[in-house]
Amino acid sequence: MNGNTCVCISKLSKIYTGSDSFALNDLSFEIVDGEIFGLLGPNGAGKTTLLSILCGLVKPTTGSVTMYDYSVENDIEAIKKILGVVPQDIALYPTLSGRDNLMYIGRMYGIETEKLKRKVDDYLYEFGFGKNSNLPVKKYSGGMKRRINLIGGILHNPRILLLDEPTVGMDVQTRTSIIDHLSALNKEKHMTILYTSHYMEQAELFCDRIAIIDNGNILALGTPRELMKKGNAGDLEEVFIKLTGKKIRD
Amino acid sequence: MYRFWATFRKEVKLLIADRTGVAILFIMPVLLVVIMTLIQYEAYKSLTQSGIPVLLVNNDADSLGGSIENGFKKVSICELTIDHGETYKTTADIKRKVIKGDFLIALVIPQNATTVLRSNVELMMNNLFDKTKSQKNKPGSVNVEIIIDPTTSKSFVIAITSELKKYIADIETKVLFSIMGEKIGALLHSDQKVNMPDADFFVYHENYAFRDAGETFQPNAVQHNIPAWAIFSIFFIVLPLSSSIINERSEGLLIRMRIFPGSYLSILSGKLFVFFLVAIIQFIIILLIGIYGLPQFGLPVLDIGKHILPLVALTIALALAAVSYGLLVGTLFDTPQQSAVFGGISILIMSAIGGIWVPLSIMPAVMQNISAVSPLNWALMGYYELFIKGGDWYAIEFQVLKLVLFFLVALAISYRLYKLKTN
Repeated sequence: MNGNTCVCISKLSKIYTGSDSFALNDLSFEIVDGEIFGLLGPNGAGKTTLLSILCGLVKPTTGSVTMYDYSVENDIEAIKKILGVVPQDIALYPTLSGRDNLMYIGRMYGIETEKLKRKVDDYLYEFGFGKNSNLPVKKYSGGMKRRINLIGGILHNPRILLLDEPTVGMDVQTRTSIIDHLSALNKEKHMTILYTSHYMEQAELFCDRIAIIDNGNILALGTPRELMKKGNAGDLEEVFIKLTGKKIRD
Repeated sequence: MYRFWATFRKEVKLLIADRTGVAILFIMPVLLVVIMTLIQYEAYKSLTQSGIPVLLVNNDADSLGGSIENGFKKVSICELTIDHGETYKTTADIKRKVIKGDFLIALVIPQNATTVLRSNVELMMNNLFDKTKSQKNKPGSVNVEIIIDPTTSKSFVIAITSELKKYIADIETKVLFSIMGEKIGALLHSDQKVNMPDADFFVYHENYAFRDAGETFQPNAVQHNIPAWAIFSIFFIVLPLSSSIINERSEGLLIRMRIFPGSYLSILSGKLFVFFLVAIIQFIIILLIGIYGLPQFGLPVLDIGKHILPLVALTIALALAAVSYGLLVGTLFDTPQQSAVFGGISILIMSAIGGIWVPLSIMPAVMQNISAVSPLNWALMGYYELFIKGGDWYAIEFQVLKLVLFFLVALAISYRLYKLKTN
């Protein structure tokens, strides 16, 4: 692990019980401190399995993951404190307000109530919530729910942020706003971001480096420019199609 | 503890946000208890107290009819109508009134019943003392008709016929004694009459078997129904609890909770504690209804006995068992529909075999044995001890232990299922 390596994934494999194929197959790569790392792949490529292993939800069959000096296998509690996760599902209580959901999430990270209130107010303002923050989440638009979901992942000021398709189903304006916020977090707070998405154009602009994975294997890894150059393609989507094919995945 | 209380606070907010749900949690059990207690109280009263309509058609103008009539006037469970053949002249008339529902039982004492009885006894005495007389005569019989509404409880029919037979046997003995006295007097050439003494040779004392000799309360439908339906209602907490657990899992909230630092157990216990408190509050409300509400409907006041700490311990054990069952159902099933159907029906079955609907004493022996596996039965037996038999901690400790063990086993199975489902 290099001095500025933030996440080190080594020979990581996962076979789910009852399955005879690899969800992840001998993956090895590193994410540098302060980097925005994109993980692209078709449905079922292994992106969510990888994120689940990184946050301790799923145990790997073989291999290891370390974040800074902590091993996922042995130091998961320490990792949970420095890790922020924005799940693909809108994991919020629909009958509670956005504010109440965030207060609950903040308390779960042990943030003291007064400090938490200030943080929640600041983030709600920053992400464009006015009085709406006191309405039940079930009355929010899809974009508002996604924004609250995102705030839930960054409230405790994590050093590493994992985002599983954070902009899925959003209109262009909301997508751009979220990406702008994430870029600001990365620059201002030096937050390392690992991000999965199906939006190639967005990933091309947003990520410092990208790994394209399919069937649990890394097919390509590098900066967007390097990938396009290696793939002799005009954009990332072309590279992606060349590497993963046109077959529809379930 | 910070995470425990944060979850507790969140769960309270979730409950308050769902006002309909809160209303269902607290109002429905109260309605259930009031309605079921009123219904069962009336049924219980009809068997044990007063108001059962009985028609006595006394066509005998002599001592047998008079004795039966006087006897039934003292029977408190009857609302007695006496007719001397003026209104109800034929059996068909009486049957019509019974079919119509005016009477549950009608007793018809035939004309000259005392005369026939006396003749029969005299015949017996003649056969005994003077074999030259009446040997060719055979005793006649007195046909007492009992007309019964088919819906009448068997136990009530037995009670009425037993009373009737008792009065008949009483007058039979008196007639026998009197005629025998006359015969013996004639044999001894004495004019002195032998009279049957009026005194009862047997006096019956009813004593309730309270554990505490100082208890004074009387068993009644309220003492049975309040704890029974409170237990039933508390177990229905399984539905909202299991549904909440399943929704958290299906909406991705469980994943978020597992990502939070610290043990998931502290989050789960914060959630379960809220439902535990809801169960306790439900029980307290139902007790208050028993003490202050039901008397407004003319029912007796619920007497909760003298042993408050054992009552608290038993109620805590009951709430723990109900909450752990909700956790188990919520962990086992994948959709709220599955948990609602299974949870609801399983509670109905456990309550039926547990003696909530029908007293255990009238169940078949095999069902009485099966009832021992129902946690609702364990709780009910505990409350019977406290509310009906005047028992103390030692009388309920085994029931409390069983409920706590149920709680621990349900927790262990839920944990195992959770591990299987999340790995």
